[in-house]
Amino acid sequence: MKYNWNWGIFFEISPDGVHTYLGSLMFGMVWTLATALSAWIIALAVGSVIGVLRTAPNPWLARFANGYVELFRNIPLLVQMFLWYFVLPEVVPSSIGTWLKQLPNASFYTTVFCLGLYTAARVAEQLRAGILSLRSGQRMAGLAMGLTLPQTYRYVLLPMAYRIILPPLTSEFLNIIKNSAVALTIGLMELTAAARSMQEFSFQVFEAFTGATIIYIVINIIVVNGMRILEKRLSVPGYISLGKPAAAH
Amino acid sequence: MIEIDNVSKWYLDFQVLKGCSTNVAKGEVVIVCGPSGSGKSTLIKCVNGLEPFQKGNITVDGISVGDVKTNLPKLRARVGMVFQHFELFPHMSVLQNLTIGQIKVLGRDEEESRVRAFKLLDRVGLHEFADKFPGNLSGGQQQRVAIARALAMDPIAMLFDEPTSALDPEMINEVLDVMVALAKDGMTMMVVTHEMGFARSVANRVIFMDRGEIVEDAKKDDFFGKPRSERAQLFLSKILHH
Repeated sequence: MKYNWNWGIFFEISPDGVHTYLGSLMFGMVWTLATALSAWIIALAVGSVIGVLRTAPNPWLARFANGYVELFRNIPLLVQMFLWYFVLPEVVPSSIGTWLKQLPNASFYTTVFCLGLYTAARVAEQLRAGILSLRSGQRMAGLAMGLTLPQTYRYVLLPMAYRIILPPLTSEFLNIIKNSAVALTIGLMELTAAARSMQEFSFQVFEAFTGATIIYIVINIIVVNGMRILEKRLSVPGYISLGKPAAAH
Repeated sequence: MIEIDNVSKWYLDFQVLKGCSTNVAKGEVVIVCGPSGSGKSTLIKCVNGLEPFQKGNITVDGISVGDVKTNLPKLRARVGMVFQHFELFPHMSVLQNLTIGQIKVLGRDEEESRVRAFKLLDRVGLHEFADKFPGNLSGGQQQRVAIARALAMDPIAMLFDEPTSALDPEMINEVLDVMVALAKDGMTMMVVTHEMGFARSVANRVIFMDRGEIVEDAKKDDFFGKPRSERAQLFLSKILHH
């Protein structure tokens, strides 16, 4: 293979005439972080509501929540992205459609929305499993002391359920960062798109994707360690502690 | 205080309670016993509405439990319940377990609920465990905390659902001692248990259930003297042998 290695490419000026290639990768990283973090907030909020509804006694709410999860996790993320970005503006009333299309940073908002709602389905599924893993007596104990059902969730069930699902939530957090790369298909200049653009203009494909890879890995290592610290701080004495199996009781 | 009138309950086609009627007067201690699957735990959970029932009526202090208009959380706050598996909240310290209901349900302020909590921890002999977590306590200690937690709400009656069944034998007495003291203080108690020694020492009445029916509802001395039903005699002969 004949390939001209040039690691110095990162410090050369990119086609925008102002920033270096490294700089444009950094811009990509910022878009990736902004997208992933915003989507994560939506995923946690919507996923928590849907997950709680799936365990609620009202069968209609539970059915609605189940429907949400099945819809959003059974359609490929890429297809969802296209549906939100290309199809939605055409099927809504034309004034709204035009407004959507002219929205500045439309691809950013679309990605945040799409990725958030998609990941929410997965968070909901995990939260449901976390709540169901608690003994039914916990719910009864909360209700028996006079807490309402929402209060029982708020003070008794959810604090334990979230602790239990912290490890899989960490994986979802990593997934949302990685999945944000799908946004390049609708034109968001996030990290993967930035690396691709660098490769197209400079022909330094290995350097470009090595740079992107390292940035992804560093971000994810930070997330993993942050979540581990969180797990440790939230560990419950005698029940859930990092690295040790739950104590028998 | 607690009136149970002709209560029936079904799980789909299976009838778990068949026309149960009894009552617990103020200050009375009533034991509910019977073989497993007889419906005794289900019955006691109907009393504070944790289990719904399809027929009959239960009133607590004159308030109907089955009535859809009844504010169940408000009613439950006045009836303490102790569970077989303790059901302390594992992410809260012992003290928080005792104050959460007082603060969130009764609207007491933090200081007031702390004072009340420590008073009750003293009573069950666990003052120095206030800052520990349930996972660090033995089963007997957890159950004593659970009793204190229920008492913190100043209940008008206490329900016990097999409070010693999940305990190691050496821890049963520390829990029973607390319950005996409570009974002697005049607390209205409905207790599902197989601890016949406890029944003998504090019960006013003993209810024997089998297959969803109340087979026997007798004064303590009558029950232990000579139960009228064969099923109760058989049950007693089995559990009193050893």
